[in-house]
Amino acid sequence: MVKEIAIPSVSDLESALKKYRTGMQIILEGAKAETGQTPKEVIWTKNKAKLYRYEPAIEKRYPVPILLVYALINRPYVLDLMPGNSLVEYLVRQGFDVYMLDWGIPGDEDKNLSFEHYVLDYIPRAVKKMLRASHAEEYTLVGYCMGGTMSAMYAALFPGKPLRNLMLVTTPIDFAPDEMGLYGVWTNEKYFNPDLIVEAFGNVPGELIDTGNRMVKPVTNYVGSYVTMWDRIVHDKSMDTWLAMSKWVNDGVPFPGEAFRQWIRDFYQQNKLVKGEIKLRGRRVDLANITCPVLNIAGKKDHICTLPQAEATMSLISSQDKEFFVLDAGHVGLLTGSEARKDLWPKIRSWLELRSK
Amino acid sequence: MPEEANTRKPMDPAKLWKQWYDTSSRVWSNVMDGEKETYVDPYGMYQSWLKSVGEAQEQMKGSSLGMMDPKVVWQQWFEAMIEGWRNAAQMGADPLGLTTHWLEMMEEARAKMQAEGNFPADPFTFFKQWYDATNDAWAKAIGEVIGTEKFMEGVGRFLESYTSFHRTFRHASEEYFRNLQLPTRSDLARVAELVVALEEKVDRIEDVFEDFEDGQAHLATSETVAGLEEQLERVEGKVVEGLAKRLDQVESKLDKVLAALKKIEAKDQAESPRPTNTGSRKAVKKNANQQSDSITERS
Repeated sequence: MVKEIAIPSVSDLESALKKYRTGMQIILEGAKAETGQTPKEVIWTKNKAKLYRYEPAIEKRYPVPILLVYALINRPYVLDLMPGNSLVEYLVRQGFDVYMLDWGIPGDEDKNLSFEHYVLDYIPRAVKKMLRASHAEEYTLVGYCMGGTMSAMYAALFPGKPLRNLMLVTTPIDFAPDEMGLYGVWTNEKYFNPDLIVEAFGNVPGELIDTGNRMVKPVTNYVGSYVTMWDRIVHDKSMDTWLAMSKWVNDGVPFPGEAFRQWIRDFYQQNKLVKGEIKLRGRRVDLANITCPVLNIAGKKDHICTLPQAEATMSLISSQDKEFFVLDAGHVGLLTGSEARKDLWPKIRSWLELRSK
Repeated sequence: MPEEANTRKPMDPAKLWKQWYDTSSRVWSNVMDGEKETYVDPYGMYQSWLKSVGEAQEQMKGSSLGMMDPKVVWQQWFEAMIEGWRNAAQMGADPLGLTTHWLEMMEEARAKMQAEGNFPADPFTFFKQWYDATNDAWAKAIGEVIGTEKFMEGVGRFLESYTSFHRTFRHASEEYFRNLQLPTRSDLARVAELVVALEEKVDRIEDVFEDFEDGQAHLATSETVAGLEEQLERVEGKVVEGLAKRLDQVESKLDKVLAALKKIEAKDQAESPRPTNTGSRKAVKKNANQQSDSITERS
């Protein structure tokens, strides 16, 4: 039986149409949002890399500056997503002197850049520039994801002063296939040859890296994200955070070819870091050289850097003052959102506070 | 540029693209089809769904004011979808088990929503409910598929084909533009590399200047150089003076040694004047020489 129902009013139809248009515009044109708004200045550049110094919001309370080192993939503004939802903004407001190393967007001419360049040339020079700008003698190094792996290697090669503290956020160190979830299968050398990709593309396109990361949770990333979007549009909820996150997720940068080759072969396929077999320009990276205080942060729901991958650090370093802090969050959710504001940021502040005087 | 490259005829990039597209489609079709030669027609499902949409439209036309109960619409939609997936599963070409999983989920979602009796009126709420009811199972099913070695074999083959195509395509494009006397991406990258290398040199110079500024290094002025020279002269004077003194001491010691030797020799000659005993004289001389060496070493 066909039953009649009430006819929607003209304004209902107009509103529905408007919402439909908003949603379709986002899908077709991509999310647009103002990100990375904490005031900053560029104090040093090298090739595409930039070193930012965030303008102090209050008088500096801690003499030990913080250097944030991001991964080679994606953009670092996820650490300064938007006002009120930014780790950088939070730290600046607590009176820390904050710096961030943005690797920039590599071009074809950067396809030969490797971890040797990043760990032995870029980071040391950024540290020097930061100490100079901050008039400081010591600093805290904070590495996120692959930036954490690079920071750990740097800390192992340059232990002692001026490095005062090391903080690793969702940082993969152990790449044993059993610990890596889907990545363990996907990067298996039987099926995955990084040389093929590097030889074909030079730099690995951001879209390819992005696809790999999304495929770890395809339903959530390809469908769930848009279900959330429509839900927010239809029910007139705030879209700011969703737009900022969506913009970031779709804003991948190419991975320099040589570094990609090393990342897959030496780390994922041969797990050389935990074996102490990584050598950068002939210098062996031994994580046991790390003796400074270390805060190692990981997420239980992280599929990109699984818990065991991050936890391995604890047994490899020699630091007496070390802590493994686990949150019930994913790779990115750990840094942003209400849970981060409630759990992670205060933890970082209190840990640093004691070690930055 | 090598001569061979100049004479090679550039390939048509569009043709290459088409070739690759055909090849990769076949690769994926093989993976999804379990390497069988039979061809799965996924459009059968869409046709079934489209048919149900057409029927719904006809009903809407027939009803007063063109509106009908949304519950009826959703039920029809469910039926059409389930029928389509069932057909696909029955075709027997579901090596990865995705279609079967999907069908199960659809039926589960329908049962769940029918039991709750809350078919919503607007399409979004319906879709949201349907997504909430199925996404966990769907994620699990896909996770099981993409985590298998079989899937990775397919990905590996696809990657090989795609990268090979891309390399050839890139090479062909480069040749094409070269023949047109136009700069290519590689040319621009080479120039950019030179700029980056130059920047690196400037960076190092800047570093050195900063070290001076920061007091880690100091510039040598003419005064400091003069001071150093003076110091060097003083050092040289002292050293030479000291050495001369030591030499004088050594010489005086040697004189004493020689005098002592002469005395011994003279005494020997006085005590044993026999000329035939040359062996004994030689022994005495040797003994004296050894004593002399030992004194020189000590001094």
